[in-house]
Amino acid sequence: MLRHVTRKAAGWLLMIAVATNATYFLASWFLDPRSNYQGLRPVRSEAQIDVALAPYNLDPRVPLVDRWWDWLTSVVLRFDWGKSPTGVSVNGEIGYRSLVSAELVVLATVLSVVVGVALGVHTASRQYGWADRVSQAVSIVVFNIPTSVAALAVVFVAIWLNQHAGLHFLYVAGENSPDVHGLLPTIGDRLLHLILPTLTLTLMGYVGYHLTQRSLLLDTINADFVRTAQATGLTRAQAIRRHALRTALIPTATSVAFSVPAIFTGAIITETIFGWNGMGRYFVQTISKNDVHGTVATAAFAAALTAIGAILADIATVFLDPRVRVS
Amino acid sequence: MTLTTTLTDPAAPADATPVLSVRDLWISFPSEAGPVEAVRGVGFDLQPGRTLGIVGESGSGKSATAMGIMGLLPPSATVSGEVLLGGRDLVGLGDKELSGVRGNGIGMVFQDPLSALTPIYSVGRLLRDALRVHQDLTKQAAWEQAVELLDLVGIPDPRERAKSFPHEFSGGMRQRVVIAMAIANKPSVLVADEPTTALDVTVQAQILDVLRLAQRETGAGLVLITHDLGVVAGYADDVAVMYAGRFVERAGVDQLFRRPTMPYTARLLAAVPTVDSGVHRPLVAIGGEPPTPADLPAGCPFASRCAVALDACRAEEPALREVTGHGHVACLRADEVADGTLDPAGPEGAADEHPGPVRTGAGEVVLRVEDLVKTFPITKGALLKRRVGTLHAVNGVGFELRAGETLGLVGESGSGKTTTLLEVLRLRRPEGGRIEIAGTEVGTARSAADVRELRQNVQIVMQDPLGALDPRLPVFQLLAEPLQAIGRDRDAIRTRVHELLTLVGLDASVGDRFPATLSGGQRQRVGIARALATEPKLLALDEPLSALDVSVQAGVINLLARLKRELGLAYLVVAHDLAVVRYISDRIAVMYLGHIVETGDTEAIFADPKHPYTRALLSAIPVPDPQRERTRERTVLRGELPSAARLPAGCVFVDRCPLYRLAGEDVRLRCRTERPAPSVVAGQPGHAYACHAA
Amino acid sequence: MTSDLATGAPTPSPLGQVPEAALLPIPRDKRRLGLGRLYLRRFLRNRLAVVGVAIFLLLVLFSAFGDVFTGYSYSDADFAALTQPPSSAHWFGTNQGGNDIYASAVHGLQRSLAIALSVSVLTLVLAAVIGSGAAYFGGRVEKATLAVIHFLLIVPSFLILALVSHRLAGDWRVLIVVLTAFGWMSTARVIWSVSTSLRERDYVTAAEFMGVRPLRIIVRHIIPNLGSLLIVNLTLGVVATVLSETALSFLGFGVQTPDVSLGTMLADGAGTVTSAPWLFAFPAGLVVLLTVSMTFIGDGLRDALDPTSVTGAAGGRR
Repeated sequence: MLRHVTRKAAGWLLMIAVATNATYFLASWFLDPRSNYQGLRPVRSEAQIDVALAPYNLDPRVPLVDRWWDWLTSVVLRFDWGKSPTGVSVNGEIGYRSLVSAELVVLATVLSVVVGVALGVHTASRQYGWADRVSQAVSIVVFNIPTSVAALAVVFVAIWLNQHAGLHFLYVAGENSPDVHGLLPTIGDRLLHLILPTLTLTLMGYVGYHLTQRSLLLDTINADFVRTAQATGLTRAQAIRRHALRTALIPTATSVAFSVPAIFTGAIITETIFGWNGMGRYFVQTISKNDVHGTVATAAFAAALTAIGAILADIATVFLDPRVRVS
Repeated sequence: MTLTTTLTDPAAPADATPVLSVRDLWISFPSEAGPVEAVRGVGFDLQPGRTLGIVGESGSGKSATAMGIMGLLPPSATVSGEVLLGGRDLVGLGDKELSGVRGNGIGMVFQDPLSALTPIYSVGRLLRDALRVHQDLTKQAAWEQAVELLDLVGIPDPRERAKSFPHEFSGGMRQRVVIAMAIANKPSVLVADEPTTALDVTVQAQILDVLRLAQRETGAGLVLITHDLGVVAGYADDVAVMYAGRFVERAGVDQLFRRPTMPYTARLLAAVPTVDSGVHRPLVAIGGEPPTPADLPAGCPFASRCAVALDACRAEEPALREVTGHGHVACLRADEVADGTLDPAGPEGAADEHPGPVRTGAGEVVLRVEDLVKTFPITKGALLKRRVGTLHAVNGVGFELRAGETLGLVGESGSGKTTTLLEVLRLRRPEGGRIEIAGTEVGTARSAADVRELRQNVQIVMQDPLGALDPRLPVFQLLAEPLQAIGRDRDAIRTRVHELLTLVGLDASVGDRFPATLSGGQRQRVGIARALATEPKLLALDEPLSALDVSVQAGVINLLARLKRELGLAYLVVAHDLAVVRYISDRIAVMYLGHIVETGDTEAIFADPKHPYTRALLSAIPVPDPQRERTRERTVLRGELPSAARLPAGCVFVDRCPLYRLAGEDVRLRCRTERPAPSVVAGQPGHAYACHAA
Repeated sequence: MTSDLATGAPTPSPLGQVPEAALLPIPRDKRRLGLGRLYLRRFLRNRLAVVGVAIFLLLVLFSAFGDVFTGYSYSDADFAALTQPPSSAHWFGTNQGGNDIYASAVHGLQRSLAIALSVSVLTLVLAAVIGSGAAYFGGRVEKATLAVIHFLLIVPSFLILALVSHRLAGDWRVLIVVLTAFGWMSTARVIWSVSTSLRERDYVTAAEFMGVRPLRIIVRHIIPNLGSLLIVNLTLGVVATVLSETALSFLGFGVQTPDVSLGTMLADGAGTVTSAPWLFAFPAGLVVLLTVSMTFIGDGLRDALDPTSVTGAAGGRR
């Protein structure tokens, strides 16, 4: 098992390396760091801008291959992913922002899985009942709503509630309020800020689990072995719970394992709308600010977490499914 | 150990109170085309310790009957009538009450052991749970009982094996587990739905013995559902024949086989190929196909296929009634048939078309295979495949086939017979040895035209006619495809397609239809027609009959015989059913673990099998005659075909060989160390076998 | 990478993959209906699917002929009416720049539909050829194709999309190319895995033994039998593309001013959800109608083409 994981990880590492370097060239080609200085007053000359960019290894006069080599050695030797065109450390930004994203997404992921799977199981065992039809219809509609629309609808309702019902704890922007001090009030304040974005993310996230879990279970419900279990004296409900459900949960478990690392890459649109400075927003900002190093580091981070997810999913499958567990 | 047993009839007295009574059971399912009556008024009594065999073809409603008794029908099904278990009516009970009966009062054995066991639990756990559903046992005590049950059904090393998962067992072993689960709570009734259909014949014999043992242990009455008349003849006390959702004949096993009284039963028996000794009996095809449950005609459903039907038969469906000295029969003319004044085969009598292998004289050699070798890598791990060994699928196989001749390759699954066939068809240079088709060695062809020429000479008829025909193309296009591949023009194709349809006895209108709308027999005829399109010299037939119903098989066998006679074809037939092979082959090669262990003329092999494996294989096949089936000597092989990954150094059959165990030490040594070479039987040219001990 | 975007990552389709059984032939039917008639009958029995078709047709008509009913164009600015709520002059109101929202919505829907339909068709063709080709040829071709697919799946495709469209500044035709180039992989993978099972089908083997050439086998036997999978994927592809286009444009990486799509309209309206809700509500409504109707259609097709479906038999309905 360990050997298998190591080999697999090595393969992924190679892919990540290739992907990251390809992104470096793409980003250098598509992004123009000089634009950060072009709007500044007093107006600077091209040469002045290039000089300003030079300390960050972004000087366009240096050949791209040389800049790439410097960047690569710094990444490999010091694990330093470079600086933004305005001199902010990429490592520091990612370290901080991934934690902000995690704070935002962890709870939403847990809630999505719990709500989605529970609903999927409940409705599949009562296929075509009213609960099934209603939740199915709701989920299909939610599945098709763009995140931006859903998030803004949540914001709209929250503002309406704040105005009309006199609620003041539904914050529609930011991670925290600037003027709160002390440990407990800070925690409380951050939790209140979490409510709306978590609601949005859960709404967007549970649908996938609901619909896939439902169809997985429906595929298994008519399996021969469920009939065998019934023949030994279980009621249909018992046979489904003990035999079909256990089998149908395996693929879900793998997909949860797959999605766990994505927690740290955050949620672009939700963060943008609710003004959270997480990874998702960082990604948007690095591109719009022509931050080559930030963009590349974000890509590498995301790729690495995808790989970790894939490996986790493999391990989960082996752990849960005896058919795969070939010694 | 090898069992050499004769079967005794364990029948209990017939006047005991029945454990199971079914009265006027009706089952219908909804469908696109309205409700389908799958079971129409079935009724019987089952005494404790006795066995009722229900025989029928696909669509006859026999499986629906089983599910109806068990209360396992899908919720959309409508059931009426009575299923009395120990006097209590199960029809109409809720799932909760029924679950108290299932596994406790009635146990069930399913058809496909591969999918019947939950893959994520160990078999010990499955059994333990089955026990604890109805008995108040601690986990520990239930586990102990589970181990005992596994031992009872013949799982070696049960304590260790209880921890294994279903996928780690072979098909036969899994079926033993399923039987153990069925008898775990000592039910008074067992229902077995085609319990051996998915298994090899040698394993089938073992499983039937286990089932017999299980029945003896529990004293249960058994409802045995099968399509195999031989199994019923050897096993059942009473037989019910099902056709179009009804019992059309119900009688004691001896009465039924001595004088089948419903014309359908009689014709069915006449159409079954047998391996059993004696003269080569001609097969009489019934003609037509069983009706689909969705589309039943008025009157007797068999009338359209019956040679002795009267006008009255088509007007009203005859009821099941008692015929003196026989059982119950649903036929207006049952009395005439019963007293022998009416031949159910009709006035024209039998043998309209003389079937059987008519050797048209040895022609040129069409196929020569020498020392053929084929191996597969064995990979391990579902995620990361690693090569861990080599599977020797075919190992030094050689034979010759002449025009107008049929060679049957027989053996259990895993014997390498299908691999051999596919190697011939692949038309590539084999891994080892050589293949020569119509004088050209395969693999030496230079140009694409040469390959195409070879291709034209060899064609295949596949096992499952539905799977072999692309469901999205009409028959005309299917038949045109091989002709297009060899570059025929449109007019030539149209003419040829019509010729082909006529040749295999199909109407020209079939050309516009899709395979899904054809019956099984028609589909296989299309498959044969397609294979004949390019006028090949050699036809490879891969289990050509095993997907067909018994009453349809005979027609296809006769068609194959006629085509061979008329077109001078050579057939290479792969089949697991020796009875079928006997009817179409001139010569037989018996394969075991990639080796040919015996080869010779068909009748020589049937009359005088030399190799112990051939003998076991022949004896494992049930004979549809209760007298002979229950008195003949049987050799039940122990174990199952081992993996071809680690071949023994000596004889490949040594692990299961009954002769080896009886042989002297010097012979044993040779068996273990020296692979036997074929030796020719004195006085029988062409009959050779590879055995040190025989 | 991002959990709230519908790009690149294999999104769960609402009802899971088309079951394997959907590829099996229709069981014998006593009346021997033509397959087309049977499919149509089953499709029409699904009320939601029929509603979906009706909505979709209305949307197409609206995008094609909607501008007949208004004198404004999406690019005209009415400086006399800035940020006006819906009125008889401006049916859907106006935005901060005085653009008529009705005219913008017609144009934006047109853009979004054009992008969604062409991307999903192109993606599907690409995915079908690559996926089934890899499955049919097997061996090295298969390994290489899968490696490329896996590689492209690990590259954060949304990031590449953003990078490229950021630079090429909002030409919707470029967007089509980019979305196609990074959108085919997961579909190709699904088609590949289904094709590998088709490849083992007896009728494919039979065709090989008859000497039918590989390309012909793919075109004649494999792709037609993927039919239902492809059709369903086409409708889901439209949904996925609409969602990605919306997301990209919302973040400023997709279609860009002066051009208008539903995504840019959403982005414009986002800041004024409470003060000028009509800016947001109309494009949001159109997007949701479009995606929901496509999903209903896809769902109806899946049921209609799936021979094991119990729909109709039991009077059941999804």
